[in-house]
Amino acid sequence: MDPDSNLEALMARYQQGDFGAVTDLIERISPQLHRFFLAQSQSRTDADDLLQETWLRIHKVRHTYRPGEPALPWFYAIARHVRIDHYRKSLRTAVGERQLEAMSQEPASFANESDHADGLNALLAPLSESQREVIEMLKVAGMSLEEVARATSSSVGSVKQKVHRAYEKLRETMSAAGFRRGQRGGLS
Amino acid sequence: MKDEEIDDVLTKAARAPNDLTPQMLQRVADSIKPSLDPVRPLPPTWVLAGGLVMVCAAVSLAGAARAGFTGFAKMDLLERVLVFLALVLLAWVAASEFVNTMIPGSRRRISPGALLGFGSFALLGVFGFLFRDYQTDHFFSIGIVCLLTGFLHAIPAALLGWLLLRRGFAVNSISAGLVAGVLGGLAGVGVLELHCPNLQAAHVLVWHTAVVPLSGAAGALVGWTLRFRAGSSAGERANPK
Repeated sequence: MDPDSNLEALMARYQQGDFGAVTDLIERISPQLHRFFLAQSQSRTDADDLLQETWLRIHKVRHTYRPGEPALPWFYAIARHVRIDHYRKSLRTAVGERQLEAMSQEPASFANESDHADGLNALLAPLSESQREVIEMLKVAGMSLEEVARATSSSVGSVKQKVHRAYEKLRETMSAAGFRRGQRGGLS
Repeated sequence: MKDEEIDDVLTKAARAPNDLTPQMLQRVADSIKPSLDPVRPLPPTWVLAGGLVMVCAAVSLAGAARAGFTGFAKMDLLERVLVFLALVLLAWVAASEFVNTMIPGSRRRISPGALLGFGSFALLGVFGFLFRDYQTDHFFSIGIVCLLTGFLHAIPAALLGWLLLRRGFAVNSISAGLVAGVLGGLAGVGVLELHCPNLQAAHVLVWHTAVVPLSGAAGALVGWTLRFRAGSSAGERANPK
């Protein structure tokens, strides 16, 4: 069975009020979304909160999913909105909006406990927020370039460019760290 | 390192097990269960976009009906066909993009900024091709009136469009506001083309076309304000004094 079409069928049943479909969706999508948040949050608690907030938002706007359309980009577009909203609010209360712009351009500067605990997060640490985001979607969620473009409200060309730049940076970092094929779980 | 090797490292790292607890998933499911009513999905894009174009046409016609169809009467057949065909096509593109901004995960064919640029330059091209009277009588005094008239009609068109798409969800309110503004601006230009009898090239090129970027900028500002206010109120809730 095609997993994507299965997700779409579950979404259609969710819209009809089927609780079984909701629990299936939560079990299938939550780990991906949680990983997505964990890679870019300051703590696991933040990631948990963001996941909960995302599901509440998904539930509120579930009518905006249209049967036949790919479901994953729809989920990720909402998750991304929740994440951006969360950081905007926290930055506004803490240090002001200027840092948000800097954060979206510069490599993530905050090392967190999950970075050390998770190999993928450690690998993606040198990348900017937007580069991490597309790599997460492509490698963790297994989305296509077209789906990532939909989720990030951008063009396929723009996604390709971000991936290209991310790979350039990863190549530099991995080469500098003497990373060899076959190793997993972090930079050596 | 080759791309394939980086791919391999990332794919292996991505396979790491997730430690999300079943209790957490159950908590999410429990929070959704009490309000799990059936919902009606949004109609297809072409239906919503068609509705938005109709709204714009209605605003343009209503505005011109009140002020008079003097501009339309003064145009020749070629001018009427090209000007209104261009407006309808641009309104269709803007309406489709407006719908896409209000539906998460939609395919984006053109960015909001590109839409603004494309719409403005397309109008400049059509107006520049058609209108060859290069006199500039009362350029500023008449021009400002046209700009304001167009903008004042863009506001209800954009608001009605927003009302039509009220069930949507804008993941980026600035983009949605900008596109709504461009769409409303095209309705404003429609009013001017139907009503304004001044077909001097400079007047039409500058003041009529300027309605689109002005409305787009106003829409983006409204979107930014809504986002800012949403953030502020959430911040106040989180940190009550």
